Amino acid sequence: MKHERGLSGRLRRERRAVALRSTLIQAVWNYDSLQGIGFGWALLPGLERIRPDRGERAERLLAHLGTFNANPYLAPIAMGVALRVEEEIARGAAGAERRLARLLHALRGSLGAIGDELFWSACRPALGLAAAVAALATGSIWPAIAYVVGWNAIAQGVRLAGVRAGFASGAAVVRVLQDPFWAKAARLARAAGMFAAGAGLGMGAGLAVLGGGGLAGGAIFLGLIGLLWLAGTQIGARGPALSPALAFLAVAAILGAIFHLSRGALP
Amino acid sequence: MTEWQAASLVALGAVVFLDQWPAVQSMVSRPIVVGPAVGWILGAPADGVLWGASFETMVLAIQPVGAARYPDAALAGLLGTTAAIVGMDSEIYPAAWAVAVAGGAGWAGEVLGRLQRRWNARTAAAVRARVAGGSLAAPARGIAVALSRGAALGALQAAGGLVIVIAGTRLLAGSPWTGRLDAHGLRIAAAAMAGVAGARALGIGRKRLASLALGAATGVALVALGVAQ
Repeated sequence: MKHERGLSGRLRRERRAVALRSTLIQAVWNYDSLQGIGFGWALLPGLERIRPDRGERAERLLAHLGTFNANPYLAPIAMGVALRVEEEIARGAAGAERRLARLLHALRGSLGAIGDELFWSACRPALGLAAAVAALATGSIWPAIAYVVGWNAIAQGVRLAGVRAGFASGAAVVRVLQDPFWAKAARLARAAGMFAAGAGLGMGAGLAVLGGGGLAGGAIFLGLIGLLWLAGTQIGARGPALSPALAFLAVAAILGAIFHLSRGALP
Repeated sequence: MTEWQAASLVALGAVVFLDQWPAVQSMVSRPIVVGPAVGWILGAPADGVLWGASFETMVLAIQPVGAARYPDAALAGLLGTTAAIVGMDSEIYPAAWAVAVAGGAGWAGEVLGRLQRRWNARTAAAVRARVAGGSLAAPARGIAVALSRGAALGALQAAGGLVIVIAGTRLLAGSPWTGRLDAHGLRIAAAAMAGVAGARALGIGRKRLASLALGAATGVALVALGVAQ
């Protein structure tokens, strides 16, 4: 991290404490201040060092308890930036307080968009798919364990590195956000996820055809895919959040009915 | 179900409620993890793995973005898997009943999650007022209160759900309308769901089609080689 030269020793212990506390950023999530309380509480170890006076510290803490919201794994970047600018405020730098408020406001949108795209839209579906298909194939608990270990290696690692990167960059944090790493990582995760989705389809088709169902089994499987696809895109006024459940319910009911009628002669 | 098993499931409800969004988000609350945990508690680990994977494919497309309202995947996985295992008869699952339980639990969990967020607003206002008065310990106390309340809510909704699952399973015992399905059929349905949900959640682009095709070939090979049976 070239931005960090000369900064690596400063507030090192406090930055680690901030990263650790960032795991509770959503503890008091609410519709008014969103992650505000968790954000302010996470900054406290740094503020203690920067502002030894209790009164001044309470004043600066209050400034950070307002509205804040970002992707929880990337929010530590904003925490690092806040600590860096808090140092400037404590030194009496002109306009630093206003600059921090503007920066945090801008970071809310950017960290939310980048983090949601990477973690919620790409990494989690990809890892979830890979683990689910592996578990269906093997019946073993290991895919679930690998899923948790893999996710936390990425997500908690980004949390730890985020405070450091934000603190090292300060107001120039935009360089961290413009790094092509974020887009590349999301692309890679999507490609891996699509491979797992394909493996699911192939495995399902294989089980339906080669598992004793023959061509009839294959036709039933294709019907399932069609039903799921149509249900997934058409059913449910609440969009994709509910429709997969309804679609799966329909599939379970149909397969159950076939099973019941054929007395267990499923493909 | 023994008292110890019921108590363990209720405790698991508290843990997964907290992990889902208030604390850490380490993903131990995902159905792929909750399913095997429920299976282990109920003495049917293999069934837990299978149902956990199935429910994971079902909730794959849900994204907890901003203030979006979304079903409670953790409770859905916990109670859905419980319903599938408790209602299992001669290795046949009551699949439609289990999925219906999961759907209901997901909805109920979403309602309680919203309630928790509303109560959190009061806690947050109290924290800010105390900090304005000079208290530096108020945020920590507020967080402790919110987490304790969340754990209690998670345990409560798991306990309530268990009562419904046990009562419903007794009521539906022997009925053909529970969507009777064996492990083989469930595996096929869940694999189909994985493919469709993955394509929907990740989006099929021209470049990703190659990954999809390569994956499909791998999936067929896994079955042909006897790795997946």
